[in-house]
Amino acid sequence: VVSDRTIAEDSDEALCRRVAARDERAFDLLVSRHQARAYRVAWSLLRDVEEARDCAQEAFLRVYRTAGAFRGDARFSTWLYRIVVNLCLDRRRRARWWRRLVAPAAGDPAADDPLERVAAPGRAPDELAGEAQAMSRLWRAVERLSPQQRAALLLQVQEGLPTREIATVLECSEATVRVHLHRAVTALRTTLGRQA
Amino acid sequence: MMDDHVELELVPYLSGELDAAARTRVAAHLAGCVGCRRLADDAREVLGRLAATLPAPPEIHWGRFRADLARRLEAPAPRSWRARPVPLLAGAALAALLVVIAVRGLGHRGAGGDPLALEDPGIGARLGLFESFRVVERLELLELLENLDVIRDLDRLPQGEG
Repeated sequence: VVSDRTIAEDSDEALCRRVAARDERAFDLLVSRHQARAYRVAWSLLRDVEEARDCAQEAFLRVYRTAGAFRGDARFSTWLYRIVVNLCLDRRRRARWWRRLVAPAAGDPAADDPLERVAAPGRAPDELAGEAQAMSRLWRAVERLSPQQRAALLLQVQEGLPTREIATVLECSEATVRVHLHRAVTALRTTLGRQA
Repeated sequence: MMDDHVELELVPYLSGELDAAARTRVAAHLAGCVGCRRLADDAREVLGRLAATLPAPPEIHWGRFRADLARRLEAPAPRSWRARPVPLLAGAALAALLVVIAVRGLGHRGAGGDPLALEDPGIGARLGLFESFRVVERLELLELLENLDVIRDLDRLPQGEG
């Protein structure tokens, strides 16, 4: 019998091995360590609270059910990122297909503005109107990137992952990640009024 | 001129993940290339602005998150198609059968959807029957039977006519 104190000191990878042996306490601990990260990444890619919550839960369900497949070649967090990103990209792909089928006409442009769907900033809106407008343009441009470019960019900017780890998450080469990042930045710099 | 290799290394360069040799090479290239320097400045600005304005995800109730997760964990896992091949194969076979029937039905419709065209192949296949006199003879017998019925019904005609 392993005490709670020992488990709490275990690495993520060791906990994952325990989860493979159906250790419920190890799974609880893994979830508590990574739930905010999984939800944050899912929300960044989906921009929908319910979808992000559902995706994060689904990711942990997959961790529980497939923990035995985790070989430990990469960090547990990298594996979790890969599961979450794959789930999100699948969900966006399905949602895009469904939207094209049932609502081919363009909707309200404001509804697609990610800044319209986040909490209001702490400062007065009129104080930051110009800046917010520029940021809104920038984040709208992020929304228009290809799913792979967007995922690579968010993993780089938001999660601070190096190219090598992003490549592992996206299951592609480092060279491909560099191309994704370069094209993303090239597309976004036009929102600053620069020519590509 | 812009070197593609250096161009692709700008983001890793700006995020500080290149090794010393690569960092030195990119820095030397930027020092001598106005276009690359401008692109690097823009990339730095874009990445900086994004990092500074990352929208925080809306707060959620983590207790509810864990409770929902526990509930979903107790639910039976969705079975993959490998776990139930027979019903899926039966469904696929039925679907294939329906497709075959539909395709054959469309194929028999003939040009223009003429309903008579549906009968043509059937009649053509039976033309051999009309070469047999006995068949036609029997058809005449059927006509005779009809005539007998008419004669029998003559008794039921109203009286006083003719």
